[in-house]
Amino acid sequence: MSSDVMIQTQDLSKSYGDFKAVDRISFEVRRGEIVGFLGPNGAGKSTTMRILTCYLAATGGTAKVNGFDIFEDTLGVRRSLGYLPQRAPLYLDMSVLEYLRFAAELRELDEATFKKRARNVVEICGLAQVLGKPIGELSHGYRQRVGLAQALIHDPPILILDEPTSDLDPNEKAEFLEYLKRIGQERTVMLSTHNLNEVETACARAIIVSRGRVVADGALADIRAKSGAVRTTVTVGAQSLAGGSVSEAEVKAALAGVSGATAVNALPAEGSFRFDVTSAQDVDLRADLFRLAVAKGWLLLELAREAQALEDVFRDLTLGDERRNRELSAA
Amino acid sequence: MSKVLTIAKRELRSYFDSLVAYVVVGGSMLGLGVWFFLLQQGGFWQIDRASVARMFEFLPWSLSAMVLPLVTMRALAEEKRTGTLELLITMPVTDVDVILGKYLAAMGLVLVLLAATLLYPIALFVFPWHLGALDWGPVFSGYFGTFLLSAAGVGVGLAFSAVSESQIVAFFFTALTLILLHVIGGVVEFFKGPVADVISFISFQTRFAPFARGLIDLRAVVYFASVATFALLFAFRSLESRKWK
Repeated sequence: MSSDVMIQTQDLSKSYGDFKAVDRISFEVRRGEIVGFLGPNGAGKSTTMRILTCYLAATGGTAKVNGFDIFEDTLGVRRSLGYLPQRAPLYLDMSVLEYLRFAAELRELDEATFKKRARNVVEICGLAQVLGKPIGELSHGYRQRVGLAQALIHDPPILILDEPTSDLDPNEKAEFLEYLKRIGQERTVMLSTHNLNEVETACARAIIVSRGRVVADGALADIRAKSGAVRTTVTVGAQSLAGGSVSEAEVKAALAGVSGATAVNALPAEGSFRFDVTSAQDVDLRADLFRLAVAKGWLLLELAREAQALEDVFRDLTLGDERRNRELSAA
Repeated sequence: MSKVLTIAKRELRSYFDSLVAYVVVGGSMLGLGVWFFLLQQGGFWQIDRASVARMFEFLPWSLSAMVLPLVTMRALAEEKRTGTLELLITMPVTDVDVILGKYLAAMGLVLVLLAATLLYPIALFVFPWHLGALDWGPVFSGYFGTFLLSAAGVGVGLAFSAVSESQIVAFFFTALTLILLHVIGGVVEFFKGPVADVISFISFQTRFAPFARGLIDLRAVVYFASVATFALLFAFRSLESRKWK
């Protein structure tokens, strides 16, 4: 059934004294979904994941993982999950194979099952070359793979990965996301990150948290549309068609005067003037902008309309965090 | 129970993979040798008696001041510092499994050490030398007492390792506590009445003394076991408290 709810949280909260690290978070994740759990650093992503994996106790609300309550049946919850904490904290003195066997024993796999599963995860995570090496001698990329392998060793229905790509170089990142897509075909995966490209690559759905609260939850396309804005980039030459010079202020004022334009932002450019003109999503400014350029005799070098990038939506939604950080550091 | 053993096995192997086990066993054997044959009243030969009582003067001290703090300091402090505890505890194991696994492993290493020291009475009185007829009674009771003392000391060490994130801090607090519990017996003569009673009640030295003479004191057995249990409960609570902090 594709509609099975695998993770469900209801008003989940965690306070440290007066500070609310997680503030009434509610969401559902279904079987077969790969969900990106997004937010700036300190937004409450790790805390939420630690509550879901029963490492921390919530101070309010409830959550169920694979149908098990995180307060009532913590062993049931932990049996259902594979978890990779931030920075893959593994025992560095053990070899990869020893570590996987250790994880399998704690997960109560028998030897035959272990062998079968180990072969499988070694193949998926690309660990065949390093099986006998101590984990301490491996690069971060390989450690992350070992972390993923131990999370997969018992074939769990749910995977929770806390910033699995933060220590990886771009190649490793791309590879890791590739594994993830393969793994995610028959599992529920929740992955936290503050890197939006990763979400765009690997996930179909995102939950964005900021200051401990969910600020957006839905399909990526929906979230992108949520801000309801579209940017049109315009570049105008510093010299007009007739050869006269054009001033930046003049162009900016004229662009702002176009009906439907809600904001004009100057972008860096050399020998020309480049602007982002923001408008509502259902408005197409390009025809008006072209007419304006013709009427003014400008040399139009670029005219492009783009849906707002996820990055911008993210920034809009989580800006509170950034401001708060600045205020604190200024104080 | 199998999870406790899995954790204990991993822990024990990590002792032997690092230098800890070799430092502990090698250092103790060396220290014991120096003490046994050379120091204090000229050593074993001057006493001219078929006795290894000297061992049980040395062992409680070296265990309290060095061995037990060394063996337990890493147990939880290091796992908390490096974050491996998070991965361990989010596997389907209980906090009790973790504490007991660590405890068993540390006791295992202590037992290896104690077994190694058995070489002394064996080498001197059984094979290859036969220096006299050794009375094995006090040897066994002495070992039993040493074992009990270690059981309590390892518990105390785990408790300090559970509250600290630094191995060094855990080491010093454990060593300090165990030395204090030990030497406090020496000041008992300066006190009278209930204070003296309390001191001799909690002193490891007072509790241990009968074992070295060949007596098995049931009250001491209960006392050491209680200290171990209490310390482990404390370690368990402290581990559990991460959830609510």
